[in-house]
Order: sequence, then structure tokens, then C-alpha cells
Amino acid sequence: MSFVEIKGQQIELDEDGFIVEPDLWSTDIAEYFAKEEEVEELTEQHWKIINYLKDYFKQFGIAPMVRKVCKDNNVSMQELYALFPTGPAKGACKIAGLPKPTGCV
Amino acid sequence: MDVEKKVAATPLLDELEKGDWPSFVTEIKKAAKTSKMAQGLLEQVEASYVEKTGHWKHGGIVGVKGYGGGVVGRYTDDPDRFPDAREFHTMRVNQVPGFFYTSEKLRALADIWDKYGSGLYNMHGSTGDIILLGTTTENLQPCFDALGEIDFDLGGSGGALRTLSCCCGEARCEKSCIDAMDMMYDLTMYYQNEMHRPAWPYKFKIKISGCPNDCAAASARSDMALIGTWRDAIQVNQEEVRKYVADGMNMVQVCRKCPTEALGWDEKNQTLSIKTEDCVRCMHCINVMPKALRIGKERGITVQIGGKAPVVKGAMIGWILVPFMKAEAPYTEIKDLVSRITEFWAEHGKNRERLGELVERLSLATFLEGVGLKPLPQMVSAPRANPYIFWKEEEVVKNG
Amino acid sequence: MARTDFGPPDYKTMLPPVIKRNYGKWLYHEVPQPGVLRHVSETGEELYSVRVASARLVSSEFIRDISDIAEKYCDGFLRFTTRNNVEFLVSDKAKLEPLLKELDEKDYLVGGVGLSISNIVHTQGWIHCKSAVTDASGLTKNIMDTMVDYFTGKKSVPSRCRIAVACCVNMCGACHCSDIAVVGIHRTIPRINHELASKICEIPNTIASCPTGAIRPNPKLKSVEINHEKCMMCGNCTVVCPAIKIMDPENDGVSIWVGGKVSNARSKPMFSRLAIPFIPNNPPFWPEVTDAVKHLVEVWASNARPGERMGEWIGRIGWERFFAIADLPFTDKHLDDFTHANTTFRSTTQFKY
Repeated sequence: MSFVEIKGQQIELDEDGFIVEPDLWSTDIAEYFAKEEEVEELTEQHWKIINYLKDYFKQFGIAPMVRKVCKDNNVSMQELYALFPTGPAKGACKIAGLPKPTGCV
Repeated sequence: MDVEKKVAATPLLDELEKGDWPSFVTEIKKAAKTSKMAQGLLEQVEASYVEKTGHWKHGGIVGVKGYGGGVVGRYTDDPDRFPDAREFHTMRVNQVPGFFYTSEKLRALADIWDKYGSGLYNMHGSTGDIILLGTTTENLQPCFDALGEIDFDLGGSGGALRTLSCCCGEARCEKSCIDAMDMMYDLTMYYQNEMHRPAWPYKFKIKISGCPNDCAAASARSDMALIGTWRDAIQVNQEEVRKYVADGMNMVQVCRKCPTEALGWDEKNQTLSIKTEDCVRCMHCINVMPKALRIGKERGITVQIGGKAPVVKGAMIGWILVPFMKAEAPYTEIKDLVSRITEFWAEHGKNRERLGELVERLSLATFLEGVGLKPLPQMVSAPRANPYIFWKEEEVVKNG
Repeated sequence: MARTDFGPPDYKTMLPPVIKRNYGKWLYHEVPQPGVLRHVSETGEELYSVRVASARLVSSEFIRDISDIAEKYCDGFLRFTTRNNVEFLVSDKAKLEPLLKELDEKDYLVGGVGLSISNIVHTQGWIHCKSAVTDASGLTKNIMDTMVDYFTGKKSVPSRCRIAVACCVNMCGACHCSDIAVVGIHRTIPRINHELASKICEIPNTIASCPTGAIRPNPKLKSVEINHEKCMMCGNCTVVCPAIKIMDPENDGVSIWVGGKVSNARSKPMFSRLAIPFIPNNPPFWPEVTDAVKHLVEVWASNARPGERMGEWIGRIGWERFFAIADLPFTDKHLDDFTHANTTFRSTTQFKY
């Protein structure tokens, strides 16, 4: 566990850099995470995915399966990785402030 | 890496340096001579031995750029006690098909791993990868880049195609009905995206064995097992059969062990007969008389699906899906089948539902229709015993 | 951007010339002495493979040492087996004896071929797994210390005997189809940290992860609850939700399973079945486990017919005879109550006493 200061606010992160208190998420925090996850600038395309993930989580209490992310947003896997080079789970979900996905390893 | 502090005492683990079998403790200690991370591991494992419990935290998510898998994040649950095991990630490195290596390649790998990691390995992990045990988040990307320079790529993890594995096939086995290593290499190269960017409900394993002896344990451990087979007659060299008999082999006993009574021994004419239509290719006679009996000439694979360990709904041994199909490069037919199956599963599978569980939930008939295959008696040990049959609308006369 | 998606090294660059020349042309193989395979090709060429034991968890020093040996005797060519042994690939017969001599001097164990007990396939255990109930490496070391004469060929067995060790019920490594399997198990139900769960638990996935439907939501706490009576301690929920813990050092331990096989040779593949439901974790030696495995091997070796695997022997004599001969208690724990339970119940009046 560690803390980062984002716009004057202390934010607690777990070892993987995911936000510990998802309720504290803000667009500033998303901007901070984006830099960490190799996204140079959050574009409209990025925000579309981020908002989709947040809405999905709010509605269903889980992160959507990757296939569903692609289908619902009309993007291919290649495009998704181009947007989020560290991948949908590590990159996109972190930026969107979702709890760490717990898919199998 | 610098080693500053002295290695802590590990009295329990030290006991496991005794005895004849190679000691993993000795191996960790060898690495600990130059790696602080290996020292940290020793301390933590000693604590586990004292306390009878593990000290690794719930799985982490770390990785390299462009991939969604291949690295398993691992952190100690007590960084104050085990600071050198704070970050201890695993890199899954795709092994060479058949586990063949040159010393040059292994040395190059060791040089990289000494530089970026703990200097500890599993040769190999259960799935087949070379497991590089223990590195930091910071070192993942540079280590991956360095591995790329010596042609080692990462394997699969998460909801992806897992690293394939195979037996040594035609490289060193007379029983192999297929070129298992080439098939593994070809499929691996073809499915790089599916392996490195998880997009499926759960893991998907493909394993290849050259013959029904199944040395790669494919039918038990893979969602899709490709097992070498043949469908014509076993090739018999009567001269060599007679030599086995002359050397004391009890041919009556060999025949008695044939599960389908397809083998016959004519004592008078000293001739072995095999009823091909009764042979189920159990390998028994070929295994005991390798010089005299050979696999048939019309070779291909049997495809089994659904094999898996117990999680979630119980263990399964793969079911026959395709009794026989050709297996020659570039394996177009096989790739087509893999794609149809994974597409169906990705579309219908629930989160963490393996292929076998999906087929059981939806029914084999539904699955067959979904992937475009016809039912065959080879697929079952017996037809259904209950009368609760699903009929489709188009199969019955419309009334009313 | 770094190089990606290039796959493993091309296997063709890893093969000794004798294999390249005889690829697909091998005629037969034999075992001239324990631990040594002799493959003969239709071209008349031959290859000697010398198999040595490995701890599987190895160091760079080990990698360099086997590389040294391979360079000295095998032109640098070697391989690993699916059971984690190392094989030195000797194409020059004159180098076989000197290789065996050096291996002996360096205390490498040569064996694991033919009618022997080969290396144990095992999982990470406390070395690296988050869900390890026991230490697979430690168990493997102790069992193989006991079984070493079966590996080196000093003692022989009726047929192959595949031993596997898995540190939890995930049974990684084909434990569910091994002649003898040692599997870590839990005996107490998971505990939930509700406060943590309310923040990081994907509740629908956690509920769905339970194969017996024992988990239900607790909306008040934004968490979940576990029905004790339905929970069979599989630990699945702990994989999905980091706020659920199941480790219980006093109650966790290992179970022993027998009679599984993967090969289609003679008989069909079979699942391993429960022999001993529980043995406490007793590191560093686990004497109760090594005694049990040794006992099972000896009972099988002295009763089975030549060529009979553990499961084939038990299949012939019947499980009721197995429990009697092996002198193991048969308990309520041996009765299956999961998904395919009724396939294990006996529906015939044919049985033995």
C-alpha cells in the first residue's frame, strides 16, 4: 500500500497501483493513472471506454468481460490495446477506478 | 545484484538439504549467494514451514506493454518481515516445443535472469512454460525486452489461450503418429494474439500428444487435446515377433492383455494376427514389442474436448469430439476447428466457465450444432438411457 | 515499441544433428540400463538419452552446470521431460560412459525410465502460490528421498507409477489422473472481511464462483455471506474475492488419492480416487505422508501383476479389496457428494468381502 498526492488529495493505492477507495475516483485521478499506464493523453475514445466501464460496474457490480467491452464499444482487441497499451484489465480498469479485476492467473 | 546482509537462519529448510533427492532448498541457497530476492524467498518459506501457512498475497496485476498476460503478479503478505520478497512476480516464458534446448540458449537465458530477477526457475511449470520466479515490477519490461533479443516470448495467463505443450513427437519417438512439435510451434505462432491478449471467459488449454499413450497428459489437462492416432492396420514384422518369443516373451499373455481380443497368436505357425476392425489402438502390443509392431500408416489426430482439473464443477477427462482428422502442415483444418470452438465458447461461456462445463450445461448436441459437427457413436460410451428427448419444431408434424 | 508476438525459439534450431537427420524415422527404443534410453533409427543411427533427476525449482548455477555437462558430452544439446527431469542427448556412444561417470561424481541421480518411479509432477506450494495449503516442493523432496531406489532402478515396480503433488484442490499437474496424488485440502469454511469486501469484491462473480450455491449477497454490508452447510471448502471464492480467506494452519492438511492414469495404454484413462482423506501438515518432513505413499507403493508393487498400473490393479481386485489389503479405513469422506457422485455408487449385487 502507498499514497500519492493528486490535486492536493492523498489517494491510497494497492501494490499494483489500483485505487483502494473507488469512491474517491475523479477525472484528475484518471489522468494520473493514464500516465502510469502508458496512455499519453486521454482522448474522447478513451473516455468512451472509461465511462462504459464505470457504468457497467455501477449496474452489474463486476467488470465486463473483454469481449463485451469490444462488442459494446465497437472496437477490436487491437484498437483496445492501442488505446490502453497495458491492456483492458491492468490499464483501462485501473484508469476507470474499478476494483482490481480478479480473473484467473 | 548486490548482497549486503547475511542470510537468516533457516533450520527447518536446512533439513531438506539432506537426503538423496535433489534439494530445492540447495537451489534457492545457490541463488541467494548473489540475489537478495532469493534470500527473501528463503526467509519467507522458512516462516511458512514454522507457521504452516503460505505468505503470498492474493494475485496482483502487472505486465508488459502490449500484452494482457504472461506475467503473474506476486507480493508478500508481510513486507515488513520479508522486505526482499516484497515484489516477487513470475514471468511465464514460452518453452521450446518438446523442451529441447541448446546450452547456449540456456546460458543466455540465465544471464538475463541473473540481471533482472532472482536467478530461480521452474524447469518447467505445470502448463509447460519456463517459469522465471521472482522479479520486481520495475524490472518486468526491461527483462521482457532482453528476452526478446534471444527469441524468448512470454506465454499465456488469465482468460487466454495458455501456452501449448506437447510430447517430443517424431523428434525422438517411434510411436508418434504426428509431428507434435511442429504442430505446437505452428499453432503457437498462429495464435499469438489469443495467447497474449486475454479475451475469453477463462483459460483455454491445447496440448498435443503424439500417440494414445498421451505423454503430454493432454486428455486430462486440456480443453482441447490433440492426440496422434491412425486408422488402418498396425504394421507387423513377424520376424521380430518371433525374436521376442525366442527371447522369452509369453505371447499368450501379451494377447490376453489385448482389451478387445484383437490379438491372436498362432503357436504352430509362430504368427501374430491382429483384427484391425477390433483394434482400439490401446498401444499395449506396440508398447511391449516396439521392434515388431508399428503404428499404422494412415495417420492423423483424435480431438478430445473438455479435459480439466476439478475447479469449478469437477474434474473431467476430455470427450471425443473428432475421432479422426488429418494433421498435416499448415494444419488448416485444425485451426478452423479451434476457431469455431473458441468462438462458440467465448460467445456462450460464463465468466470462469471452462469449455467442458459449458458443453455439460448446454448439452453436447447444442455444442455440436454450434460448431458444425455431426453426432457420432464414437463420441459416447453409450447412448442416452432416459426418454427425455428434445425435439425441434421442424422434426415433428405441425398440428393446429 | 518492444518486439512482441514472436513466439518461442524455433525448435529446429534446438535439435542435435542426429535428431534432425532421423526426425520421424525412429524405429524403436530400449532401456539398456536404468536411466538410459537407446533410440534406434531406420537409418541405423542411434541416440542415447540419459535422464537425471531435478528439483524442478532450480538456480542459474544449476542451469549452467547442466549446460557445462551438455557441452562436454552432447555438443550442448539437452532437453527436459514432461516430469521435470533433465535429459542429456548423447549422439556419440563413446561419450556415454564418461558422462555417466561424471554425473555419478557430481551426485546427479540417473533414472526414472521404464519400470521405475519417475519424478513427481508438483505445484508451487509455499514457494510461490497464493492458495497453497501445503508445500509441494517439500512434500516432493521427502517422498522422492523415500522413493529414490525406485527412481534409480535399484528396486523395480510392476508398471509405471505417476506420482503428483498439488498444494490445493485446484489439482494443477494432472493430480486427478495420477497413480498416487497428494493434494492439499481445507477443512474449515472461509472467513470474510466485510469491510474490505465492500470496497474490492466483485460480488456477482463471487456468488457465481461457488459450485454449490453456498454464497449469497449481504446488501446491508455490501458484502456476501457463506452458508456453512453448503460450503465444501473448495476455496474458489477466495480466488475471486481478495477479502475472503480460507487458510487455517491448524486444520489444513493433505489428502491422498490413488488409481488415476492418463494413458490409453491397455485400459482407459481413469480418475484418481480418495484413499486417505486427511493427514495434518507436518513440515519439514511430513513423515505421515511419506509413510503413506511408501505403503501404497509397496502394497501395489507386491500385489499387482506385471504391467498393471495402480488403477488397473485396483480395477481387477475391486475397491473393497483394495481398502482391505491396504488396511485403510473406509469412511463417510470416501462417499462422493459432488457433481458426478452417482456414477460412483454401486448398482450391482456383485462385490467382494
